[in-house]
Amino acid sequence: MEKVKLKLLYSDIKPELDMIEKELEQAVDSESPLLNDASLHLLQAGGKRIRPVFVLLAGKFGNYNIDVMKRVAVPLELIHMASLVHDDVIDDSELRRGKPTVKAEWNNSVAMYTGDFILARALEYITEIEDPKLHQILSKTMIEVCRGEIIQIEDKYKLDQNLRDYLRRIKRKTALLISSSCELGALVSGADLKTAAHLRRFGYFIGMSFQIIDDILDFTSSDEELGKPAGSDFMQGNMTLPVLCARKDQAIYELLKNNLQKDMTDEERLTIVKTIRNSSAIEEAKKISEKYLEKALEELSYLPKSSASKTMRKIAFFIGKRKF
Amino acid sequence: MNEQQIHSKITSLEIEVLKAVKQRTLEKHTEGPSVERERLFFLLLPFLDGKQWSADIEQTAKTVSIVYAALHAHDQVKEDILASKKQQLTVLAGDFYSGIYYQMLSNMENLTMIKHLASAIISVSERKASFYDQVERPIQLVDELIQKNEIELIEAFYNFYGYHEYTKLAKAMLSYVRYENELKCLKEGGQSRILQLLNKSLRYPADPEAWLLKKLDVLHDQVLELIRDAKFDYELKNFMLHKITPHQHRAEQLTREG
Repeated sequence: MEKVKLKLLYSDIKPELDMIEKELEQAVDSESPLLNDASLHLLQAGGKRIRPVFVLLAGKFGNYNIDVMKRVAVPLELIHMASLVHDDVIDDSELRRGKPTVKAEWNNSVAMYTGDFILARALEYITEIEDPKLHQILSKTMIEVCRGEIIQIEDKYKLDQNLRDYLRRIKRKTALLISSSCELGALVSGADLKTAAHLRRFGYFIGMSFQIIDDILDFTSSDEELGKPAGSDFMQGNMTLPVLCARKDQAIYELLKNNLQKDMTDEERLTIVKTIRNSSAIEEAKKISEKYLEKALEELSYLPKSSASKTMRKIAFFIGKRKF
Repeated sequence: MNEQQIHSKITSLEIEVLKAVKQRTLEKHTEGPSVERERLFFLLLPFLDGKQWSADIEQTAKTVSIVYAALHAHDQVKEDILASKKQQLTVLAGDFYSGIYYQMLSNMENLTMIKHLASAIISVSERKASFYDQVERPIQLVDELIQKNEIELIEAFYNFYGYHEYTKLAKAMLSYVRYENELKCLKEGGQSRILQLLNKSLRYPADPEAWLLKKLDVLHDQVLELIRDAKFDYELKNFMLHKITPHQHRAEQLTREG
């Protein structure tokens, strides 16, 4: 149902998105049958394609030319894919979107080379755009994404971290790449700098909201809906917003503390998931997500009304209410 | 340039590379970036040989070394073991170094080199992945894949700046260094993907040590010939022979054979 909703939201740019999908397949084509299979495996696992969608929509605020836009939209998705395949090694994840991860299907080394290959393809592809500024923005974002992940590992199992640490982390981990997708889409289409700045901020706020919802869903969705065990974030030591909100209750704090860095049984995992799900933490986290959503919508309000801004608005609402 | 000056030029580039990729957490929990002096030597060879050189070229050489460090970090990720903090950060170290090289070249506005390096990384990754497929390859082909991976990134650098003349020598010498390291690993009872591949590709009875010793001899002869034919100055030739590829294995082999 949710996927159908998303498809409807994308209907204005469907032909272009279909083209991007084909380009993605071509981009991961490799002389190595193993890399070919691993990359296609990852690609065909699906995904929301939020980044290329925002590149294309942002491009509608300038001189939109799909042949130019795809040169940014495709690599942005590839960069995201490369980070996912490496993340699965970091998190030792067996499943992604209900399918075995590359590291589970093959092994860690194949996952590493697949990620390196996909990232290199992205850079090979995007260097067709000869604007150094674009590359400076993107490379800075890539470094910040890594810094965010490094900090995430440093902060693992730290139940007493503060909200600011969490927000800074998700900014780097998720929001910046979505923000850059919007900004680069605008810049490459020749939109004016003020428009590009509004779109960059829109992407940033949406990215923050998106990640918070993702973190909420990790507790509120079922294993089947998630395609992985619910509560995986906590099990891996990642203290997300619902946990940070829930720990204010002393009894929950004790429960969480007693289960940190421990091989949890399924029963213990589900107890934690249920406890957080039934606490006020979910509502509290949702409110913070909504604040970011409001800010994103405010940025959109500064832009000329168009079918692109309307679609962006709808996507923003979808992100705030999504269930997968 | 005398031996001391060559050493200090390499050291200075090494320090620059390490500075560029410095990151507190990575430094604390990983083995740190692998910056091999032999590779730095070959990146600097056109300069040492008196070819046209500039700060930009040196900066590009630095980025090539960073790409090697990125790929090396990912080679260190172990098979099928639970993700330790060190392992997790090693994955991120490789990604972080990749971001740094991209940023450096973007700031230099050298987009062509980004493309060349990306293409080289694709080829290297494809070859490394091929080490994991089930295809049986003859030893000659495995050897060629290994040697190509040693030179690919430096070759991209040479091609970009028109330093093609050094490719053959760099390939032979860096392959020599690679196989020498593999031999050392074998003698110490270690294991590596390359040793596994050699074992798999050599005909029964597989004797990787004998193959490595023979290969080192062949490569050393090749190196001698290439150096003899090149117009390097005496100090540079001497440095290459005695500091990059000192050949001890022939003597060892003779001793072994009685």
